[in-house]
Amino acid sequence: MLAYVIRRVLIMIPMAVAISFLIYLGLDATPGDAVSFMLSPEQMSGANPERLAELREALGLNQPLFVRYFIWLWGLLQGNFGYTLTGGVPISDLLARRLPATLELAAVALVLSTVFGSILGIISALRRGSATDNTLTVVGMVGVSIPEFFFGLVAITVFALNLGWLPVGGRSMPQYITFWDRLPHLVMPSLVLSIMMTAGVMRYARAAMLDALNKDFIKTARSKGLPEWRVNLLHGFRVALTPVVVLIGFRLPALIGGSVIVEQVFQWPGVGSLFVLSVRNQDYPVVMAVALISVVTVLVVSVVIDVLTAIIDPRVRLGN
Amino acid sequence: MTTTTQLPVNDVALSVRDLKTFFYTNKRCNKAVNGVSFEIRKGKTLCIVGESGCGKSVTASAIMQLLPTLSRIEQGEIVYHSERGDIRLDTLERNGKAMRSIRGSEIAMIFQDPMTALNPVFTIGFQIAENLRYHTAMRGRQLMDKAIDLLRSMGIPAPERRVEQFPHQFSGGMRQRAMIAMAMACNPKILIADEPTTALDVTIQAQIFELMATLKREHGTAIMLITHDMGVVAELADDVAVMYMGNIVEAGTVDEVLRRPSHPYTRALLDSVPVLGRGKNQDIRAIPGSTPDPFNRPKGCQFADRCAYKLDACETALPAETHLSPTHRVMCVRHEEFANGVRS
Ligand SMILES: Nc1ncnc2c1ncn2[C@@H]1O[C@H](COP(=O)(O)OP(=O)(O)OP(=O)(O)O)[C@@H](O)[C@H]1O
Ligand code: SF4
Ligand SMILES: [Mg+2]
Repeated sequence: MLAYVIRRVLIMIPMAVAISFLIYLGLDATPGDAVSFMLSPEQMSGANPERLAELREALGLNQPLFVRYFIWLWGLLQGNFGYTLTGGVPISDLLARRLPATLELAAVALVLSTVFGSILGIISALRRGSATDNTLTVVGMVGVSIPEFFFGLVAITVFALNLGWLPVGGRSMPQYITFWDRLPHLVMPSLVLSIMMTAGVMRYARAAMLDALNKDFIKTARSKGLPEWRVNLLHGFRVALTPVVVLIGFRLPALIGGSVIVEQVFQWPGVGSLFVLSVRNQDYPVVMAVALISVVTVLVVSVVIDVLTAIIDPRVRLGN
Repeated sequence: MTTTTQLPVNDVALSVRDLKTFFYTNKRCNKAVNGVSFEIRKGKTLCIVGESGCGKSVTASAIMQLLPTLSRIEQGEIVYHSERGDIRLDTLERNGKAMRSIRGSEIAMIFQDPMTALNPVFTIGFQIAENLRYHTAMRGRQLMDKAIDLLRSMGIPAPERRVEQFPHQFSGGMRQRAMIAMAMACNPKILIADEPTTALDVTIQAQIFELMATLKREHGTAIMLITHDMGVVAELADDVAVMYMGNIVEAGTVDEVLRRPSHPYTRALLDSVPVLGRGKNQDIRAIPGSTPDPFNRPKGCQFADRCAYKLDACETALPAETHLSPTHRVMCVRHEEFANGVRS
């Protein structure tokens, strides 16, 4: 098992390197002087052209592409993402402030959609052909086909503006101390963000569950005199779980993409809204940093999903 | 329509009387089991033979109340003669408590393909222990100890290690042994084996049958063995029922059916496989034609299209069942000629 985890992590590294290189190429090709985002505003101010040329030499910016890339990568590994073009703030500071907000939103949405999607999928499968099943199927189809911003705007209109139950947006207020204080702010964005994924997980869980329930071992389980809940949930869902977990892994990038929109709609101060802001300001170093973070997150999560699959499926764990 | 001679009831573990089980697919009705009667004697082996699709598995599933939802027991009765008295299995709720308490403890079942019949994500030990947990007072450590004992008695080497392994780590034969260990966990009165060796290779098949013979001897388990293989019948059966298109066309003790086969279908089956003890130079002939469409059955004898002895009378109505002896019965218009005549 440990060997498997280590192998998966080792496979991830070259992928991360390849992707970071592509991102560096993008960054390198963007207009503007690379020096401008690699130096703090203090260093920049009062620097005359000769001084800048010296700095460029010192930063290795006159070196060939590959060398420049490795210098950049080395900086990244030490947490040095450079400075924003607009305002000259260290990008790492920005990320440190905004990343937790996004992670919180995404994690809550992930948990919600996994739990609700699985439960609804199981119910649908166990009652296949019933009114419940048909209703859930239709709702699921609507769920995957309507964009998040629409749900977001409807939710704001209804629950914040008309009913006044929940705040319109934002994440926190100065007087808030605990997580529970902030919870009302989290409700709408996380629910809206989870809708699409819930619908996807539900459809998949239903199919996987139906597939599992058709297997011979279900008949065996019944032939042993086990109660129905155990036959369906322990023997059925336990086997259906593997494809569901794999699907969740596949859908994760969509969740991250969705968070860009949801953060925008609910003014959630996360990486997603930072991304939109930076694109608008043509602040390429920030855009690239966010892209890099997203890609690395997806990579890490995919490894986690693989390891999880191996844990829940002995054929994967012991087969290799 | 059937008149089964009643054996002394305390010899019988299970009686099936005039069982009809139909499938309803696409608004059409498939009379998969169309009036079968038989008895499984205590401690004896009943072999059910017949070509694919004749209703063997459906009969087995009906006994265990494990039929797919689109099928239903239409008529007839299934009586389990338990120590607590007779129980009408067909009237019990499908997955209700009463049926569940019998499944796995008093009547157990093993299936054709042990790879798919075992759950891939649970250890063998867990799957055996599950059976014990629901039918015995055993708990905790006892469960695993018993599982290890069971595996050992099924001839699985290193059971202490094997008990913690998953089905895919077992070979085909070992898997079926594990499956039998699971079925035998609560020492059932009846073991239903639905083609337990079809998925295994020949040498392994022999080992599994040997194991089943031992179980029968040592535990007095009654066995209902579904098979295609007449050779297996000759080896293991005490009683034989030959099925064709949802009917038992001939049944009797193994001697009666193998020595005096009185239905053309039984004869054709016997001719289509080499049978032990009938010499080396056997004339092996495949049965001509194929089974009729279950949705478009012949009106009379179901075998008529393929029968070399067909008369007009055969096609008017399903032939009545006739007893040649208290145990030997046959459904054929011309049975007298076959029963008296020497084998063709
Ligand atoms: N799940 C099902 N859905 C629809 N029809 C079925 C189903 N199971 C069995 N049948 C029908 O019932 C009839 C009897 O099938 P059964 O499985 O009992 O045959 P069998 O004798 O066990 O054959 P085999 O030797 O291939 O296992 C067939 O006509 C088959 O098409
Ligand atoms: S009833 Fe007629 S057709 Fe059917 S098996 Fe007997 S002889 Fe053949
Ligand atoms: Mg079958």
